[in-house]
Amino acid sequence: MSGPLLYGLAAAALIGLGLHGVLAHAAPLRRVLAFNLVGAGVFLLFGVGARRGAAAGLPGDPVPQALVITGIVVAFAATALAMALIRRLAILRAAAAGTPEEGAAPAAAPPRETR
Amino acid sequence: MTLSGALLAATLATPLAFAALCLLAPFRRRVFALLPLAPLPGLATALLAPGGSLLLAPAPLRLVLALDAPGAMLLGGASLLWSCAGLYAGSYMGARAGHTGFAVWWLLTLAGSLGVFIVADMTSFYLMFSLVSLAAYGLVAHEGTPAAERAGLAYMALALLGEAFLLFGFVLLATAGPNGNPLIADAVAMLDGSPWRAATLTLLILGFGLKMGLVPLHIWMPLAHPVAPMPASAVLSGIVVKAGVIGLIRFLPFDRAAPDWGTALAALGLFTAYYGVGVGITQRNPKTVLAYSTVSQMGLVAAIIGAGMAAGAADATRLAAYYGLHHLLVKGALFMGVGVVAATGARRRPLVLGVMAVMAFSLAGLPFTSGALAKYAAKAVLGEGATGTLATLSAAGSTLLMLHFLRLLAGISKARPQDRAPAGMVVPWLVAAFASFAVAWALFPQATGGGLAGVLAPAALWKATWPILLGLLLAPGLARWGARLPAIPEGDIAVLAERAGPAVRRFGHGVEWFDAAMRAWPVAGLALLAIVLALGALLALP
Amino acid sequence: MVGDALASSPGGYLLVLAVLVPVIGMLAMPVMGLLRVRHAASLAFATIAVGVAVVGAVGWRVVGSGEALVYGIGGWSPPLGLALRADGLSAVMMAMAALVIALVALYARPQFAAAETAPGGRRAFGFWALLMGLWSALNLAFVGEDLFNLFVALELLTFAAVPLVCLDGTAATLEAALRYLVFALVGSVLYLLGVAVLYARYGTLDIGLLHELAYPDFATHAAIALMIGGLMAKAALFPLHLWLPPAHAGAPAPASAVLSALVVKAPFFIIVRLWFDVLPGASHEAAARALAMLGAAAILVCSVVALRQARLKLMIAYSTVAQVGYLFLMFQLTIEPGVPAWATIGWTGGMLQLVSHALAKAAMFLAAGLIAEALGHDRIDELAGAGRAVPVSLFAFGLAGLSLMGLPPSGGFIAKLLLLSAATLSGAWWIAVVISVGGLLAAAYVTRVLKRAMAPPPEGIVTSPVARSRELAALALALCAVALGLVPLQPFDLLAIGRAGVALP
Repeated sequence: MSGPLLYGLAAAALIGLGLHGVLAHAAPLRRVLAFNLVGAGVFLLFGVGARRGAAAGLPGDPVPQALVITGIVVAFAATALAMALIRRLAILRAAAAGTPEEGAAPAAAPPRETR
Repeated sequence: MTLSGALLAATLATPLAFAALCLLAPFRRRVFALLPLAPLPGLATALLAPGGSLLLAPAPLRLVLALDAPGAMLLGGASLLWSCAGLYAGSYMGARAGHTGFAVWWLLTLAGSLGVFIVADMTSFYLMFSLVSLAAYGLVAHEGTPAAERAGLAYMALALLGEAFLLFGFVLLATAGPNGNPLIADAVAMLDGSPWRAATLTLLILGFGLKMGLVPLHIWMPLAHPVAPMPASAVLSGIVVKAGVIGLIRFLPFDRAAPDWGTALAALGLFTAYYGVGVGITQRNPKTVLAYSTVSQMGLVAAIIGAGMAAGAADATRLAAYYGLHHLLVKGALFMGVGVVAATGARRRPLVLGVMAVMAFSLAGLPFTSGALAKYAAKAVLGEGATGTLATLSAAGSTLLMLHFLRLLAGISKARPQDRAPAGMVVPWLVAAFASFAVAWALFPQATGGGLAGVLAPAALWKATWPILLGLLLAPGLARWGARLPAIPEGDIAVLAERAGPAVRRFGHGVEWFDAAMRAWPVAGLALLAIVLALGALLALP
Repeated sequence: MVGDALASSPGGYLLVLAVLVPVIGMLAMPVMGLLRVRHAASLAFATIAVGVAVVGAVGWRVVGSGEALVYGIGGWSPPLGLALRADGLSAVMMAMAALVIALVALYARPQFAAAETAPGGRRAFGFWALLMGLWSALNLAFVGEDLFNLFVALELLTFAAVPLVCLDGTAATLEAALRYLVFALVGSVLYLLGVAVLYARYGTLDIGLLHELAYPDFATHAAIALMIGGLMAKAALFPLHLWLPPAHAGAPAPASAVLSALVVKAPFFIIVRLWFDVLPGASHEAAARALAMLGAAAILVCSVVALRQARLKLMIAYSTVAQVGYLFLMFQLTIEPGVPAWATIGWTGGMLQLVSHALAKAAMFLAAGLIAEALGHDRIDELAGAGRAVPVSLFAFGLAGLSLMGLPPSGGFIAKLLLLSAATLSGAWWIAVVISVGGLLAAAYVTRVLKRAMAPPPEGIVTSPVARSRELAALALALCAVALGLVPLQPFDLLAIGRAGVALP
């Protein structure tokens, strides 16, 4: 089994697992984690592409690396935004349910305005 | 710009400008007094500018105004009636406050209804037709009563359905040719070679027939005409329905005999003529009876147009317009007269009812009235065969219907014996009634191309009289047994359509449920994956 | 391709400016905040003035030269560098975005006027910063030539749009925003997967180069299917619209206007680029029909659902889903043997539908926002009196509705007419029927609102006044939608500028 094939299969497995996770789980946090799994699979696929580009005689195609780095930044930003939303939602729900969550303490510090 | 061009432009611009000026409070306060002035440029155009044309915008937009003979007849009559009804409205509505909205709808309907008579390109025609259709909603629903709401809903739904038919028909008509926005005449000339001829004609007849109230698309008319304020009923029943007439005149091909389509249209028209009488005599509200009479009369106009199409007789357009003009003025006078009768005390009532009787029997073709002239003229197209005979016999039905109307009318007044209707109502009513005579006599030679001698010949007089006598003979029977007739609700089959309400609601509920099911996260997610797979497979197809 | 074959055209730097100016404006806001000049709104207006000028200059160049405007970033041409390119279509999209953003900003000014330290100040700051970020992302999506670059643009767009949804910070809007974000991310990752496959296949992501290189094989088709599917999720094509109604209905009115008018159009625009510029092979009738069928389902189902909504903003949001359906009819209606897609009336009709919907929908959301503010709620059954309270807004709503219904004179009418003609010419009768029925349903849901709103106010109704300038902003957008009805009824050259070179082999 060649390297690219192995990587490709691994990427496919990650993407499949991730998509299943996104669809099957109801909790937003799990969905976001599953999204990151799919993302990892796709980045791996970029790696495979770079490796195959090396067949042209180069040691390795640099462009996919740049793409993957950018992609990781984007995925990170997306995850951060999702986490902020999830956290804020949890705080609001806890406040509504009357059980102040740890760290939220609405009585002590008024809830910050969200953007 | 030539004089005729300026007049054509003014016909459209004046009512629209009036409507826009209603944004200013001082104008708004006086708008009812100014309503009779708005249609006057239209009247001047009809008198001075037949044959004139004006290019409003050059190609590729190519908006063109033009006035041909049928258009001029209807434009003149409509302008006159709009002016009379405007005067009447000032007296009838003016006393009640807060009616600016009514005036704006009035002016917009006015602009659209005159517009359809003078535009020559398809886009402008559709624009004007939409304007008159949609703005008239404001007149129908003005009173705000539950009945008006229901009528407004039925009116709006059917008007929009008619728009959809027409738009589709226009698209078929226009795409058959090379131009984006052809002149109506050019587009119709190409219809013969069109691959979609049958579909186009069906859609056009449905769209315009709906506006004219051909059965079974008439249901909005007996709902809408009675609930509107009196002057609005007059223009709705007199003028707005003529948008359908001018549509059929402009858009159907008359250059070559088309027996199949012509006969079908004529048959539909004649059926409508009898249907309107049949349902009309069971009604209890004089305004509803008048609305059914309009259904019946428009059926006759459709029969004239259909017969002309079957024979390939271009004359039919002028004759149909002439018949439409007669109906326009008479029906306008009748609706305005209902208000006059209601406001007149017992002392003067016989005189008023006398004038109303003449108008009513004019619809049945009473000799020397406009009805007799119009029916005599229509003979040239309807012929002496089955179509002609059925059309003649329908006059007996009209007689019956009008007697029924007069009997109901005599009983509606709640005025005190000494009361007299305000001059602001009586004068326009009388002007319209008088105009129906004067205009019909004056235009008869132009419409028929023949002299007046024929119509005054004893044979012609007898031909006009016997259906009325037949109707009078049948009348006692109706008076005796009429009470046993089933009471058909206003809008007859509209009631059946309303029964479908729960089913429609269930359907809507089902669609909503389906949408909610599709919005579930796992369903949407799987749908996304399925779409990707299906799209990939379809793209890979050879 | 030779290195300098795709050299930047004169004035190409304008494209960079179009992307950068809003970003600079956005970044300047916190910097100025540090300098204790806390006027995010004023900064936003200054930025908008410059940005509109830049977009105007782009349009002027494109129309004046009759050619696409190209810029190779850093002087590098593809495949090594990134290119920006504005053809006639891109210029139209950018102009549309600039117009909507400028008028929405005028509308939003009194609503988001608070200084940062004042109560509501963070929200106001957030709105203006996000609006600028969103605009930059939109312009990038309209001029990007590199598929990965477009991915970044779409992500930026999402990151700006999601917080706009939950600007008011309630649990309901946060939930809507989260749903929007996660579903959009699934779409993005599918798109990125397609990009990875294309790159592995061809070694370039430049649309112009791909157009020359791509050939119909399994990998290419799979990649494009993945990308289009992902973009559909972001464009909320039925049945992938689960996120749109709560998100667009929950956002503040000016944000809803931008989201509905512009944000869903960017992914659609990229689908158009993929379909017409990258997808190799013949016309793909079966796939085009599948897209059109989804569009038709969107029109029929979501129009009925819109008719049954109890809340005004939800109704408008569902109307957006239905109107997005019209756009997807285009793929089938541009198939005409021997004629390039952009010379067909289906192309003009589809694009006109896009622009006129953007203007009309923005006007409608703005007007609905004012109606809700004046009455204190947006329950359709209790709208009576709105006609008295905010007549100008209601008029704007009606004019915008005219365009949605496809009644003359309006851009929506011309678009509907062109699409109907295209359906007739191509013999796709079912599309013609769907367009007609969709128009009737739109008329039903618009008149339902108008009728209730024009009813006389009930006794004792209390209405709050709204600023006249805001009403006029809504009215201006509606009038623009109506003015589009004056364009002639034929394919126009503007939308085909710069395309002949790309696609005719």
